[in-house]
Amino acid sequence: MLPSMRRFRGRLVDQRSIREQLVSVAGLIGRPVELAGGVEVGRVVDVIARPEDARVPHVSGLVVRIGRRKAFVPVEHVATLTGRTVTLSTSQFDVREFERRDGEVLLMGDVVDHQLVDIDGVQIVRASDLYIAPVGDSIRLVGVETGLVTLLRRLGPRRFRSRATPERVIDWTDIQMVGGLGNVRLERANRELRRLRPGDLADLLEQLGQSQRRGLVDSMDIDVAADALEEMETDQRDRLLREIAPEKASLIIAEMEPDEAAEAMRQLDEDAQVAILAAMPEESREAIGRLLQYEDESAGGIMTSVVIAVRGETTVDEVLDMLRTMDSHRDDLDAILVVDADGRLLDDVSLFELAVADRGRPVGQLVGPPWPITVTADASIDEVVDAVLSNRRSSVVVISEDGHPLGRILLDDVLDALTPTRSWLRANVGDR
Amino acid sequence: MRLTLRPSTLRAGVRRRFRRIVAVVAILGPGLIAANAGNDAGGIVTYASAGAEFAYKMLFVMLLVTVALVVVQEMSARLGATTGNGLVSLIREQFSLRLATFSVVCLLVANLGLVVSEFAGIGAALELLGVSRYIAIPLAAIGVWAVVVLGSYRYAERVFILLSLVFLAYPISALLGHPRWGSVASNTFIPHLSGSKEFLFVAVALIGTTITPYMQLYQAAAVVERGGTASDLRAIRIDSVTGAIFANVISMTIIVATAAAIGGRGPLNSAAEAAQALVPVAGHSAKTLFAVGLLGASLLAAAVVPLATSYALAEAVGAERSVSRKFRDAKLFIGLFTVQIFIGAAIALAPGNLIKLLLQTQFLNGLISPIMLTFILVLANRTSLMGDNANTPRFRVVATICTIGVGALAAFVAVQQILAWFGVG
Repeated sequence: MLPSMRRFRGRLVDQRSIREQLVSVAGLIGRPVELAGGVEVGRVVDVIARPEDARVPHVSGLVVRIGRRKAFVPVEHVATLTGRTVTLSTSQFDVREFERRDGEVLLMGDVVDHQLVDIDGVQIVRASDLYIAPVGDSIRLVGVETGLVTLLRRLGPRRFRSRATPERVIDWTDIQMVGGLGNVRLERANRELRRLRPGDLADLLEQLGQSQRRGLVDSMDIDVAADALEEMETDQRDRLLREIAPEKASLIIAEMEPDEAAEAMRQLDEDAQVAILAAMPEESREAIGRLLQYEDESAGGIMTSVVIAVRGETTVDEVLDMLRTMDSHRDDLDAILVVDADGRLLDDVSLFELAVADRGRPVGQLVGPPWPITVTADASIDEVVDAVLSNRRSSVVVISEDGHPLGRILLDDVLDALTPTRSWLRANVGDR
Repeated sequence: MRLTLRPSTLRAGVRRRFRRIVAVVAILGPGLIAANAGNDAGGIVTYASAGAEFAYKMLFVMLLVTVALVVVQEMSARLGATTGNGLVSLIREQFSLRLATFSVVCLLVANLGLVVSEFAGIGAALELLGVSRYIAIPLAAIGVWAVVVLGSYRYAERVFILLSLVFLAYPISALLGHPRWGSVASNTFIPHLSGSKEFLFVAVALIGTTITPYMQLYQAAAVVERGGTASDLRAIRIDSVTGAIFANVISMTIIVATAAAIGGRGPLNSAAEAAQALVPVAGHSAKTLFAVGLLGASLLAAAVVPLATSYALAEAVGAERSVSRKFRDAKLFIGLFTVQIFIGAAIALAPGNLIKLLLQTQFLNGLISPIMLTFILVLANRTSLMGDNANTPRFRVVATICTIGVGALAAFVAVQQILAWFGVG
């Protein structure tokens, strides 16, 4: 028992009073529900909780089979609940057929044997069992069991089935449910999910089944979802974008960096593209629509359209002010563009040059060698690589035939374009 | 500086072009790969044995099996595309823990049977090349284990696939071997069955080797992994159906080529006999050609099947992540993989006829096929799971008939075999 105790990560299940009173949900199913005198009225079918209401959710009631009906027995009518029997405090109950309301979760039907996100351990787990326990004067959902021994216990003879076998328990406070919740806004989920790095969240999304991850993305805040999607494998991301509602997809794509967004859009078929573009805010639609015109393996296809282009008379101070409003694009900006009266590119002024220049100077005076490295939007990736390699600069500017700046390609965009997508086989043989 | 850097740029370009080709092949299909996995050591020997013992008579059974394979592969692909889940995790979520455990145990037994057959195939192939199986099988077991656990499996896999492509010689051999085409046609399309014990045994083995549970798992997993969704259903369907048909056309040419060469001489006893079927293509080298193909196919599957089993079990207990991300760190699954290889090789080492052993493992798979079929059918019927993509009433009828047909045949032959053990019948 001692070594496995160390596996308890949560604080709740560590508390002795709780540990000694853990009731196995899987073991409770099929157990008798009795009146005070010991008369059996039915059998437990499922346990209801509302996981979004509290960090440690209350059990709100039981689904009990009474005769041929499944009735809801609110937890207030439960006098005692042990692993073996449930005793009611009243002989009056509502025998109307149970119907699930929004936010209610069937612990056996929706959670046990299903996938869950372990936010603390950043992994997808499958619940072998759930533990509920009295906390104060209510019954709470305290933990998720993920151990193998518990599976064997559930397969074993009936009398062992209700014995709690805490083995690898995760506190419910560290768990995020996916799917099965109906249309509830997951306030708590978003708070918890923000604890994860976008890359980790992307990993988790890739591992979930379709309905689970659609449920999760549907309830996620747009910015969290967009960050995560930018990090996903392209195959998986495309799949996800086609699964979720176009309105949601368009909001997420609009929130992504334009080049990532265009790349994601390119993989979708035309109908989906049209639907998503139509539902998008005007500004993003224009930016992404423009990027979409380019071949995906060309300079236009991998560039980001986030650029700051100013006329020569703008002062350094004014440019710095503009930069301050672009905090969310900080990774895409390593220089600003100076253009002439017709909008044609004159020079590429690095942030370093700006930082050391006098605040009041017009940026036009900073124009001079080194001159910008430019490629046209239809240049191949090889040409871009050559341009970057031969000049050793951190980015190149993409211009139109008549010299108007269209966007910028940073080194990481080049890296992305050159890195082969990972093979699907990794699922079977691991990374090697 | 510039010059020295050029080659790498060039390589990048080549790599991209290669990637584009790979992508095309990938779209061509998981269905093709999944269904053709049936043409492994067990498959080759079972088809050859059917051709040797019953000449063209088994072709009609193969036609029925093809229908069943098309139906089940399509359902598996559709389940993967609609739910985004592997079959094992669907079974875990949709059935009680007991039923899920039952199906996983069946899968373990079936796959272990396959591993045995792959090592038997390795033994038979190398015996044909003059190497004793008592040397060949242990070496192969250690080699496969080392390549998967320690080495670079991807390269080995490519070599194995190349070797097993030798079996594409069968269709040519079937054409060159002057089979009686009239007989081929009539035996394929005119319904006929025989009640003899030998015929039914081979029929069940044919089912077992063609509709192998792990092919269905692979089909669903591959669709999910490639990001197929319900909106691609048309393409996914075409892929799974053509894959199944293509695989079985190859299987039927194995039967035809073997029947033309040694048909009607009684049951297949050795790999050398089976190799006769390739004489029209390879002449004196037929034996070598057959041995190389059998070795490649067996080695490939000897590595893939235990991996697939480990992965399925991981899916069942909910530890997919640990296996897919860092297989080498997942002790439990390395252990499981090792045990499978060990048992498989050990059973294949037991004295006795390797070809007979191969047939028996496929027969065992034939008894398990209907169980997995039933799980898949029930899942694909469920509208709560599949929504609009659940089986249509008409499809449901066809699929149910296939399942019951396969199940009834397996049950009948199983009872017959058990009675035979007790000296009855």
